[in-house]
Amino acid sequence: MSTFLPCGVYHETYAQDHAFWQTNFIRGKMILLALVSFIAIPFFLTDYLSEFILLIYWSLGALGVQLLIGYCGQLTLGHAAFLAVGAYASFLLMALPWPRFMLDMGVVYPLVLLISGIIAGIWCVIFGLPSARVKGFYLILTTMAAQFITVDFFIAKYVSQIGGRQQDLTLSSDLVKFGPWTVDTKRDIYYYGLILTILMTFMVLNYLRSKPGRAWVAIRDNDIAAESMGINITLYKLQAFFVSGFIGGVTGAFWGASRNIISVEDFTFGKSLWLVGIILIGGVGSIHGVFYGAAFMVFMIWALQEIVGMVGGTGNIIYYKEIAFGLAICGFLLFEPNGLAYRWWQSKNYFNLWPFSY
Amino acid sequence: MKGKIFWLALATSMIFVLASGLGWAADEIHVGGITDQSGGTADVGKDYALGLEEAVAWVNDNGGINGKKIVLHMFDYGYKRDEAVTLYDKLKTRDNVIAVLGWGTGDTEALSQTVSKDKMPYVSASYSAHLTDPDKTPYNLFFAPDYSSSARAAVTAWYDEIWMKDPKYKSRRDKGEKPRFMCFYHHAHPYCSAPIKAVKEQAELLGMEIGQDQDLSLKALDAKTQVLAAKRYKADLIWHGNTTQSVSVAMKDARTLQLGAYHAINVWGFDENLPRLAGPAAENAIGVSPCAFYGEDVEGMDAVVEYAKKINPNVSQDKRLIRTIQAWGAVKLLAEGMRRADKTGELNGETILKEGIETMSGYNLGLGMAPVSYTPEDHRPTSKVSIYIYRNNEFQPLSEIDFKERWPDKWNNQWLGY
Repeated sequence: MSTFLPCGVYHETYAQDHAFWQTNFIRGKMILLALVSFIAIPFFLTDYLSEFILLIYWSLGALGVQLLIGYCGQLTLGHAAFLAVGAYASFLLMALPWPRFMLDMGVVYPLVLLISGIIAGIWCVIFGLPSARVKGFYLILTTMAAQFITVDFFIAKYVSQIGGRQQDLTLSSDLVKFGPWTVDTKRDIYYYGLILTILMTFMVLNYLRSKPGRAWVAIRDNDIAAESMGINITLYKLQAFFVSGFIGGVTGAFWGASRNIISVEDFTFGKSLWLVGIILIGGVGSIHGVFYGAAFMVFMIWALQEIVGMVGGTGNIIYYKEIAFGLAICGFLLFEPNGLAYRWWQSKNYFNLWPFSY
Repeated sequence: MKGKIFWLALATSMIFVLASGLGWAADEIHVGGITDQSGGTADVGKDYALGLEEAVAWVNDNGGINGKKIVLHMFDYGYKRDEAVTLYDKLKTRDNVIAVLGWGTGDTEALSQTVSKDKMPYVSASYSAHLTDPDKTPYNLFFAPDYSSSARAAVTAWYDEIWMKDPKYKSRRDKGEKPRFMCFYHHAHPYCSAPIKAVKEQAELLGMEIGQDQDLSLKALDAKTQVLAAKRYKADLIWHGNTTQSVSVAMKDARTLQLGAYHAINVWGFDENLPRLAGPAAENAIGVSPCAFYGEDVEGMDAVVEYAKKINPNVSQDKRLIRTIQAWGAVKLLAEGMRRADKTGELNGETILKEGIETMSGYNLGLGMAPVSYTPEDHRPTSKVSIYIYRNNEFQPLSEIDFKERWPDKWNNQWLGY
C-alpha cells in the first residue's frame, strides 16, 4: 500500500476500491483522529466534555436522518419521534424486574439498547409505510404525523404516565453497565457515545458500499428508473426506514443514559427540524457532513452564548442570538448550499493538487 | 467574493469569542443563572431574569456575602433542556460557580440528579413538589409553596369561600350535588403537569367530581375546543396549569362561550399581565401568589422598585410583574444561605445546604412571602398558601390555607415529594 495514490491509476481490485482506508496517509489521519477523540478530548478538554457529548448526540441523531434524506431521498420531519421511542423503550425495559445476576454482569443494558433500537426501527417502518405510495411533500406530512402521534399523543398522554411519575422517567446510572464497565461519569458517557458513533457510522458506511446502499441511492436519484431496473423500491425504502429508526432508537437510548432522565420535552418537533438543519448545514448526502453540521450547531450555540454572556445576559441581546442563528442557516443556504462537507472536500483538493491544480 | 465575506465573518466571530478570556478577583462568589428569555415560558421568564440581576446588585450593594461580592453568570437557554444541561456544565467547570439560580421544571428536574452528585445548590423558579424530598433531590431548593400545595390550596379556597358561601350554589348544595372540576394544562410539559395528581387528589378529598383533562398548549391562541368540552361537562371550577399567555386565552374563550365556571390558576399564570391580556374575562380569577405583587406596600418593596429603576431604567415600570419579586425571593434565600455558610469558614455547595439553608426556621424573607423553614427531612418551605382573587380591578386576598393545621397527618406523612 502506498502513501499517496498515483495520479491516474487508482484501484486494481474491488477490495481496494471498497476499502475504508485506501492509503497510508489516510490511515495516519485516522490514527490521529482516534488519538484526539480517545485521549486528547476526554483527558485534556474535560471542561468541554458536555459540548462534545452534545456533538456526539447530534451526529448520531442526524446520521439516521442523513441516511433517509441524503441517501434514500425520503424526506422526514419527524425523526425526534424515533429518538423518543428508543429512549422511552430503553427506560421502560430497564425498569423490568431483571434477575440480579444479569444486572450485575452488565448484560442487561446492552440487550436493552439493542431491543430499543429494534423497537424504534419497527416504529419507523410503520410510519414509513406510506412511502410506498406517496413522496415529497406528502411524505413530509406523514412523517410529521409520526412526530405528533408518537410524542405529543402516545408518549405524553400514556407512556409517560407509566409508574405514576408524571412526565419524567428516570434511570439510575449504576444500571447502565456494559459488562464490568459502569457508565457513570461524564468521561464514561463520552466514551459510550463515541464507541456508539463509530459502530453506527461503520454500519451505515457498510450499508452504503453494499447492495442496499446502491439501491437507496438509485431510489433517491430516480425511483422510476430504479424500479424499472428491478429494484424492489418499497422493500428498500422500508429497509432504509428501519435502519434509520434503529439508529434513532439507540441515539435516544444513549441520550437517556447520559441524562438519567427523559421527558417528552426532549423530543419536540423543533428537534426534528434541528436534525434536518444539521444535515443541510453539513451537506446532504455526506457522512462527513453529519459531523461537520453537528459541530457547527454545537459551536454556534456555544459561541452565541459566550457573546451574550459577555454583555450581561439579559435584554434585547437575547433576540440577536436567535437572529444570528437564523442568519447562519440562511447564509449557508445562500453561499454554501452543498454544506460544510463540500467546503471540506474543496479545501482538501486544493492541498492535494497543489501546486499544479487543473 | 460573497463566499469569502461569509467565511471572513465567521472567522472574525470565532476570534471574538476565543479572545474573551475572563480574569477573576479572589473576593468574589460566582453564581450561575439559567433563565428563559426567548423560549416557551419567556412571557414570565424575562421579568424574572431582570429581577435576578437587580436582586444580586442589591445584595452586593448591601454588604454582599459578609463582604464578598456575588458575580452572576446569567444565560438564556430558551427552555431547551439540552441547552440547560450543557449550560450547567459550563457554569460548573468554566465559570466555577458554587450555586445556580435556575428556572423551569423541565431543566430543574433534568438536572436534579446531576446537582445532587455535584453538591450544587440549585435554587429554581420551579416550585415542583417533586423537588421537595431531600432523600431524592437534596440540592433542589426554592422559597415558595410548592405547586402541589398551591394547587390544593386554590381548590380548597374555592370550595370554602365560593362553593360553600355563594348563594348561587345554594340550591345545588342543598340537593347534595357535587361540584364539577376539570383541568386545563399542557400535558407534555413538566411544569403544567407537576401538580395534576395532587390537585385531583384534593378535589376528590373535598368530594368533587373530576372531568376529562384538556390538553392546552402553552402557546395556544385558541381554547374553544377545551372550553366547549368543559361546557358539556358543566364544570364549576377549572384548574389552569399553564402560564399567563395561554391562561388568558382560555379565560377569554370561556367568557365568549359563557362557560360560567370559576378559574383557579397556578403561580406562573397569575400575575399583573392576566387582566391586561384577558380584560374583563379576568374578573373572579382565583390564583396562587407566593409573594406580594410588584409595587405593593410591603416590607422590602422600596428596594425592589429602586433597583428596578436603577439597573434597568429602560424597562417601563408598569411592565414590571410579580416575577421580579419571585426572583428576589430566590436570590434572598440563596444569599442568606451563603451568609450562614460563610460564617462557618468554608463556603461551598455542601455548607450552603447544611449550614445555611437547612438551618433556617421561620426565616422571614420579606416582600409578603411566608416565612420559610427547611429541615434535612423536608424541603417544603412553608405549609401556608395565600390565595388571591382578581375582583374590581385589583388582586384581593381570598383565603389563607395552612395545611399543617388542617390536614396535619396528610401533610407530614403523605404529601411529601409529589
